[in-house]
Amino acid sequence: MAGDFAFIRFTLNGAPQEVHVRPEEMLVQLLRDRLQLTGTKIACDVATCGACTVLIDGKPSASCATFAWQAEGAEIVTIEGLADPADGSLESVQQAFVDTSAFQCGFCTPGMILLAKALIDRNPSPDRDAIRNWMGANICRCTGYEMIIEAVEKAAAMRREGGR
Amino acid sequence: MTVLSPVLHVVGADLSRTDAVPKTTGTATYTVDVSFPGMLHAKVLRSPHAHARVLRVDASAAISMPGVHAVLTRDDLVDVNPTYGYFIKDQPIVAIDKVRYIGDAVAAVAAETEVQAVAALERIIVEYEPLPYVATVDAAMESGAPQLFEDEPMGIVPAYGQGASGAKYLGNNNCYRFSYESGPADAFDSCDRIFEDRFVFSRDQHFHLEPFVSVARLEGETIEVWTSCQNPFPLRKELARVLKHPENLIRVRVPYIGAGYGAKNNCKTEPIAILLARKAKRPVRFCMTMEENFLTQSQHGAILDVRTGVMADGTLVAREGHIWLDSGAYADASPLVAEKAGYRLPGPYKWQRLRVDCDCILTNTTPAGPYRGFGGTQASWASESQIDIIARALGIDPYDFRIRNLKDLHEPYVPGESGIDSDLRDGLNLVADRIGYVRRESGRGRGMGLSIGFKDAGGVNKPAQARIKITTNGDVYLQCGTVEIGQGIHTSMSQIAAELLNTRIERISYPALNTDYTPFDQGTNASSAIVVMAQAVQQAALEAKRKVLEFAAGELDCAPDDIELDNWSIRKGNEAHPLAPMIMRYYGGTGYEFTGEGFYKAAMDHSAPLETQCVSWEFGWGAAEVEVDRDTGLVKLLQLVVSGDAGRAINPRICRGQDEGSAVMGLTGALFPCMVYDGAVLVNGDGLNYRVPLATDIPDGFVSILQEQGHGPGPFGAKSLGEGCMLPVASAIANAIEDAIGVRIRELPLTPERVLAAIDGSVSSK
Repeated sequence: MAGDFAFIRFTLNGAPQEVHVRPEEMLVQLLRDRLQLTGTKIACDVATCGACTVLIDGKPSASCATFAWQAEGAEIVTIEGLADPADGSLESVQQAFVDTSAFQCGFCTPGMILLAKALIDRNPSPDRDAIRNWMGANICRCTGYEMIIEAVEKAAAMRREGGR
Repeated sequence: MTVLSPVLHVVGADLSRTDAVPKTTGTATYTVDVSFPGMLHAKVLRSPHAHARVLRVDASAAISMPGVHAVLTRDDLVDVNPTYGYFIKDQPIVAIDKVRYIGDAVAAVAAETEVQAVAALERIIVEYEPLPYVATVDAAMESGAPQLFEDEPMGIVPAYGQGASGAKYLGNNNCYRFSYESGPADAFDSCDRIFEDRFVFSRDQHFHLEPFVSVARLEGETIEVWTSCQNPFPLRKELARVLKHPENLIRVRVPYIGAGYGAKNNCKTEPIAILLARKAKRPVRFCMTMEENFLTQSQHGAILDVRTGVMADGTLVAREGHIWLDSGAYADASPLVAEKAGYRLPGPYKWQRLRVDCDCILTNTTPAGPYRGFGGTQASWASESQIDIIARALGIDPYDFRIRNLKDLHEPYVPGESGIDSDLRDGLNLVADRIGYVRRESGRGRGMGLSIGFKDAGGVNKPAQARIKITTNGDVYLQCGTVEIGQGIHTSMSQIAAELLNTRIERISYPALNTDYTPFDQGTNASSAIVVMAQAVQQAALEAKRKVLEFAAGELDCAPDDIELDNWSIRKGNEAHPLAPMIMRYYGGTGYEFTGEGFYKAAMDHSAPLETQCVSWEFGWGAAEVEVDRDTGLVKLLQLVVSGDAGRAINPRICRGQDEGSAVMGLTGALFPCMVYDGAVLVNGDGLNYRVPLATDIPDGFVSILQEQGHGPGPFGAKSLGEGCMLPVASAIANAIEDAIGVRIRELPLTPERVLAAIDGSVSSK
């Protein structure tokens, strides 16, 4: 079996990471089971619902449908990597979700926050339609989405005003 | 709007939720995140047959597979009561004599990895004798139909009060009937018109993102189970019965729950995880996949016949109904859902005569169980559709017809029942005004529809206990069994406690549920927390506060009425006396805790049909505007306006989230395909093929309006939310479709195919 392992290096939440991974190991398994980053969730497990969303080189990606070895050389951000490690202060989208109660059960929330961050990174002033279309990639069964869309609007405004 | 109390400073504020930081930083712990050293993973072998006799189960080859530590088959169900359920205990932990649907559990394996467990399942040999199956209610009720149970399983019929009754096992797969009757039987004789309609209700799946999951381990004789379960105390009782194990040696722990919408009541993964943990002597995690969720629990599809008598002037007189719920393969919560579907079919109107039967029909499909709305969704679909049908036939606008017949504020729902605690006309006017109902232009492909979703709230005969503990420094523990399943109850309860103790919400902690320490509760369901448990929390907070004031009065040599509690200090006139030093002077430097206990239960009342009066009534007022394409049958939802009555909103944004979330859930049953069966095979039961609403499915004209009418029985006038706004959605849309194109659709979901068929039918019949 040992020969089947791949040695990969990548950046995880800003820190260098080196691991051996099995060829069939999915990124979400590596994150949750071996690196104890359980904020990333598994729900549909077929790359549809977005609960497993992480940012790979800034791109929102389904970690349930990404092999762990595909992380080689990439910069990966999970929900645990958003708050400021020094003082724990929240990133703009996190803060906006807190301020507007844009979550309920919270199971989709890490994925929703990372999805929204990727939008604002690309488009600092998305209008409601742009937000609705972008956020349509992930499923929330609790909120009815309106409060999530408001949170993303607020996060974009916070970022434009100099928030992180 | 009534100003209830000008002094409130915590209740009514849009405070950030107490679970906000854990849930936005990935640190919130759910059952899927729980693990222990040496933990094994369980997987289940499921039946490929809809209905078959199980002739042989041979798991001998599985146990020697790599990584396997335990295998569970029917041969292991020797020292246990092998079946569970609510009123009827018919569902086996793993198959015994028969399998009854595709996906029924047959055997289970615990291995070091899920992959190893799945590999071992493939080595289990099962011989089946396939039997004829029944996949629909109609097929199940035919004479001579195959019976899911040849022998009647163990079960009970609970006591009912005035006008209500129950019966079980009436033959032909009918496992339970709830009936309700009041008023003179000849009331139909005087009616000018009688309307008879059959409605069909779609079958949604909850699609909760956190799967059914539990982790079980043994500490000596103590069984500890971490589980994504919304009624942990009834679960503990059921596990004790099934496992023949003392209740106080079963510890149920519930961290945050990744939603349930009703699905996470009672046994799911727990018996298998526990029995495997016992055999393997290692912790066992049993986490289902989304595909398995679809094979474990669903909503009830339903057929509803409604017969309504009315006077020519538009006065409703009498209603009879017969509902058949598609209960799937096991009784599960069907008898309870039948109670509520049957009881709610009349809707909130004035009647002289009512009679409803609601039957639970077993079919060889996924077991149906609790689902948000709990029978009220099915009942509201039929009732509110027929209200429009009747109004149009009489030449009365459906709005005017409702206004004329609605119950008044405080008017009892039925004889012996509590009064309606919302002004129904106020709510209807609100949504009608907002959507522009009066000025609408009907026909030409666009139209508007109204609906009032209706259910009782607070559950039946629910006892709830709560405890408040306050430390020397004024930090507060709020202990109660209501679990945080997304509804924001940790925050709302904490706001109530902070308000009553005159402190900041940051001082309140709400420990996660552990049945060893948490006071008893019947379950987080039936929109009961804010009207039932919150009353216990209120009592506990007030008792703790009284003890503090009595203690301080003694220390300050005055009467308790002369002092006030203010931010963990005692105010006496213009003096402030910090409590911590006062407590340590008396109780010693190691400190003390003040404890208050609270209890609430509606009184038993045999004159009430369900043996207690309903604690509260929950409504969802809905208005829809649609555009219908006559060529494609596509229904475009232009506006959806919903409104719930919070009585008093403890946290308005949380309330808004409940109304909007439930309305969008209601859209699933109205406009999405729902569960599609080909015979007994569920063809879309997975995340890829099952469509639930996305952000892009929600129209820009989706609006919720939060009412605070102030009549609720909960603290500060609060009442239940969270289910109401899903109830009117389907009927409001169907009513809008008729307003738009003059075609009535009586079957959900309102798919383009069905709309086209209805258009074709109406053209050919003319």
